[in-house]
Amino acid sequence: MFELFLDIFAYRDNFWTRMDPGAKLAMALSAIAVILLSSRAVLPLSVFCLCFACMLWIGVPVRLIAVRLTAPMGIVAVLALLKAFLPAPPGSSVLWSGTLYGWKLAATHEGLREGLLIGAKVLGAVGAMLFLSTVTPAHRIFHVLRRFRIPQGWIEVAMLMYRFTFVLVEHASEGSAAQRLRLGYSGIRRSVSSAGMLAGSVILRSFDQARSTHDAMVLRGYKGSFPFGEESAPRRQDLYGAAAVITVLLIFYSALEWRIFS
Amino acid sequence: MKRERAIDAAGVSFTYEEGTKALKNVDFWADRGQFVAMLASNGSGKTTLIKVLVGLLKPQEGRVLVGGRELSAIGAKGLYQEVGLVFQNPDDQLFGATVEEDVAFGPRNLGLEEAEVSARVAESLSAVNALELRKRAVHHLSFGEKKRVALAGVLSMHPSTLILDEPTASLDPAGEALMLHLLNRLNREKGMTVILATHSVDMLPLFVDCIFVLNRGEVLRRGPAEEIFCDHELIRQAGLRLPYISHLLYEMKRYDGVPINGLPLTIGEARKRLLELIPEELIASRLETKGQ
Amino acid sequence: MNRRTILKAAVFPVPAIILSAGPVHAMHISEGILPLPWAALWFAVALPFVAWGLRDLRRFDREVPFAKPLIGLVGAAVFIISCMPVPVPTAGTCSHPCGTGLAAVFIGPALTVLVSSVALVLQALFLAHGGLSTLGADIVSMGVAGAFSGYGIYRLAGRIGVPWYAALFLAGLVSDWATYAVTSFQLASALAAPGSTGQMFGAVAIAFMPTQIPLGVFEGFLCVGAYRFVKARRPEVLMALGGGAV
Repeated sequence: MFELFLDIFAYRDNFWTRMDPGAKLAMALSAIAVILLSSRAVLPLSVFCLCFACMLWIGVPVRLIAVRLTAPMGIVAVLALLKAFLPAPPGSSVLWSGTLYGWKLAATHEGLREGLLIGAKVLGAVGAMLFLSTVTPAHRIFHVLRRFRIPQGWIEVAMLMYRFTFVLVEHASEGSAAQRLRLGYSGIRRSVSSAGMLAGSVILRSFDQARSTHDAMVLRGYKGSFPFGEESAPRRQDLYGAAAVITVLLIFYSALEWRIFS
Repeated sequence: MKRERAIDAAGVSFTYEEGTKALKNVDFWADRGQFVAMLASNGSGKTTLIKVLVGLLKPQEGRVLVGGRELSAIGAKGLYQEVGLVFQNPDDQLFGATVEEDVAFGPRNLGLEEAEVSARVAESLSAVNALELRKRAVHHLSFGEKKRVALAGVLSMHPSTLILDEPTASLDPAGEALMLHLLNRLNREKGMTVILATHSVDMLPLFVDCIFVLNRGEVLRRGPAEEIFCDHELIRQAGLRLPYISHLLYEMKRYDGVPINGLPLTIGEARKRLLELIPEELIASRLETKGQ
Repeated sequence: MNRRTILKAAVFPVPAIILSAGPVHAMHISEGILPLPWAALWFAVALPFVAWGLRDLRRFDREVPFAKPLIGLVGAAVFIISCMPVPVPTAGTCSHPCGTGLAAVFIGPALTVLVSSVALVLQALFLAHGGLSTLGADIVSMGVAGAFSGYGIYRLAGRIGVPWYAALFLAGLVSDWATYAVTSFQLASALAAPGSTGQMFGAVAIAFMPTQIPLGVFEGFLCVGAYRFVKARRPEVLMALGGGAV
């Protein structure tokens, strides 16, 4: 019911999970950057295929990937349609035109093509992001952010949120199941009131949890900031690997943009 | 020779801001190396007493000595290497994303070298039979595993006294046995003082040296298990019960007139006492028939 | 004629159907949608607000010893509330609230921006709602616009003597709609052909209207319900969180 992030894959042991999280983050971010800059659909689509293949390789079910992709693809479909129907620069070739409820509509080739390009970009970028998250636990990504000079306070809050989301989700889903079993969601008015109570109880629970967690932290020597320990240096082969992947991406991108092959 | 007291609270009273009197003139102590149990029904002030013992709450009256020193005189760093507290709900106390990170929290706060931190993590996890969980995410653990990891997180501070709030609550029977076995091992092999608040009367007499019975903020009685469980009025008053095996033998003695010697609290002892009542020839003949 | 009817029939229900598959995502701009310069611009807009949140966190930490666990936990709570499914009658399915208005009432707008920045990273990575390059834009629409507008209207309503439930309702409603408006603007400005931003804004806004209008109303009621629950059971929590101002 609560779609919780499924992160069991990130804790498996395989080639990708062993890789330094910083290297993985750098690769994912540069892939996304190149995709955003790209003016042709080939590059985003090939990045997507590559990530998709890698996810299948480490055993992520296709269904899960598909579920994750529906949301972004939904927006893309709307945007692509809007792009297709909105006024395009003069000189565009008209694909279809007509009136609807008094609105004059015209779909242009250019608009549709742009819409589809956005679709490809979303597919590629989301693919890269999903692949990163299926092979890297969130807390390791947060750890790596220290290397990129993200303030400690942000990382501490992020770590606590990540950990306690799982605790509170249990509370919330039990609460909502209990409400459902007593017909708390029959009818709109009752649903609204049940949801409000559930939200309130999650907030109260979070308050109590914060207090007892703080007690537990103090008892183990907490003095106002989290000790993160030393950062393990990235393995050399990971850095070289990441550098190689990024170079290939850049070459591929430049070749496509300046049409070296065609 | 009087043994040194690991923890010693005398005349402690605590009233919450809203006026609830949670503790009334409580004396509670544990000698070094002892295994002490706090038997208490729900709402009897047990959690408040625990919080007072570790300095999370300051009592309005009375004093608490830890290792012979006044609580307020010991700095946080010294205190938490002296006493460790394991919470009832493991989720309260596991705040690291992974097992390793969580257990390392305490040692890192002590400012230890990374190598030493890592050694302590390994040592504490193996003390609770959980070394293989080291790389796992905390939210993927089962309840029993979380309980053990929470214990490891406290052990990594190397406290000489361990206080546990209902360590066996909501555990399955195997988990309960494992937890008590681990605590017993820490007590016998490492000489740790163990104080636990619990309801699990069936297993308790196997381990404990001393029991405090707490009810409505007062200590009703303190003594060894044999003494406590003989006082039926006390047990009833405190909302507790006898271990099942003792209950059975007690009823046999009382209603069926079976002349059982004393009141056994553990299975082993009960067996011995029952065997005493069976004529030797009977046992010998049974063994013979079995042998054929 | 025939062909046109088919197209009309095909085109117009489509947005509604697709949106109903996952309308929450309307409030988060997906990875890959914003061109790089726009993404960078929104990052630049978001950063000062996150820094403000961090400064508030440090100040709060000096005042209250358990500030960090508290903000982390309340953040997690708001994150979960924002994942609660909500029945939206007009779209025929479930949608999700934002939760930022409620959070702002409890912990203030700047800290809400801080926790929503974390929530957005988690959602982007694990649910593919929102994205890393669009993080800045999403922080601005969800966090900044949602929290500050909701908090602003809440304080304003309190000042002019509106009863607490009306103030809470407005906080939820306004924060939700502000997020919706800013998101529409972000999409329109980045994607419209030069000179047609206004038109694109209208089109995006209309496309998301069927879910967002009722969702905002729902979010208003949700805020009232949640606040009432906390107020009735544990009023001291409101004081501790600083939300007892009205």
